[in-house]
Amino acid sequence: MGEQEGPLAAAIMNIEQALEWIAEVFEESPGRIVTTTLRKEIPGWDSLGTLSLIAALDERFDIHLSEQDIEGMQGVGDLFEILRRQGALQGA
Amino acid sequence: MPVPSSFLAFDGRWVVVTGASSGLGRAVAVELAGLGAGVVLVGRHAGRLAETAALLGNAAHRTLELDLVEHARIVPAITQLRQDVGPLYGLCHAAGVVETRPLPANTVDTLRKQFDINLFAGLELARAVCRRDVLAAEGGSLVFISSVYGRVGMPGQTGYCATKGAVAAAVRALAIELARRQVRVNCISPGLVHTEMTRQSLALLSKEHVDKLEAAHPLGPGKPEDVGRAAAFLLAPGSRWITGADLAVDGGYTAQ
Repeated sequence: MGEQEGPLAAAIMNIEQALEWIAEVFEESPGRIVTTTLRKEIPGWDSLGTLSLIAALDERFDIHLSEQDIEGMQGVGDLFEILRRQGALQGA
Repeated sequence: MPVPSSFLAFDGRWVVVTGASSGLGRAVAVELAGLGAGVVLVGRHAGRLAETAALLGNAAHRTLELDLVEHARIVPAITQLRQDVGPLYGLCHAAGVVETRPLPANTVDTLRKQFDINLFAGLELARAVCRRDVLAAEGGSLVFISSVYGRVGMPGQTGYCATKGAVAAAVRALAIELARRQVRVNCISPGLVHTEMTRQSLALLSKEHVDKLEAAHPLGPGKPEDVGRAAAFLLAPGSRWITGADLAVDGGYTAQ
């Protein structure tokens, strides 16, 4: 079986889809999450929420976060950087 | 219906009750309605849910036809429910199935049928009700119906015992995980209660066996309302410091 790099094409999201996906992961109402939202502003993004995020990134995009990634995420912007780096997010 | 002013009052909070078509679920729904809860009756058959609804007097209620084997339908159905009635407060997972089979006849398929309803559906319901955009901001209360057979064994009930023991174990883990959100999680372990489900199960046994089983309950067999009252107590907002508990409601069966 060959190695697969990055997410499947079908899983690549635009900004709007990514915001909806993040809202779903943290069980927030769609629209409450924007690109500048900070982790501390999302009640569901506590230590258990981070575990949910790790599982969701793995299941949907086959993305495995490094410890550095996990420690460095302070908000949606940092998460977007990871998604872009892994080819799961397109758009400015 | 007059609502008593006590710590058991629900003051219009909404609680989802599965297995509401009969037996323990129906008894829980009736008890909750009498204490001022809005009750969501979940079951497979509209006609039987309507029969339960007719017992609720003027209490606020909804019926939700749902086959809990279809796990993927649970989150969408509960999310829609939240749109209809507002934030939810509680869940009582009373739906359950039992297959009496000795080990040679106990296949993975028959085990899975029991786990699908008794455990997996309950956990999926908990996941749905506890979503941050579904649950009331104040927190909530979940009650699972386990069984004395989660604590003690019985020939022919390996699968059922396993599911109910798993329910009690899951309840403890959920209680710890959800405490930070003021969500309490408890279970009840009923002994022999005469319901349609136990009638079918007992029909497979000899009269002597049934008599012996009933005699093993120092207070005799229970009634559905005995469990309904216990569930209402654990669900009630006033029971605010009780979580992770497994309450035996068994007429003394497991005290021996």
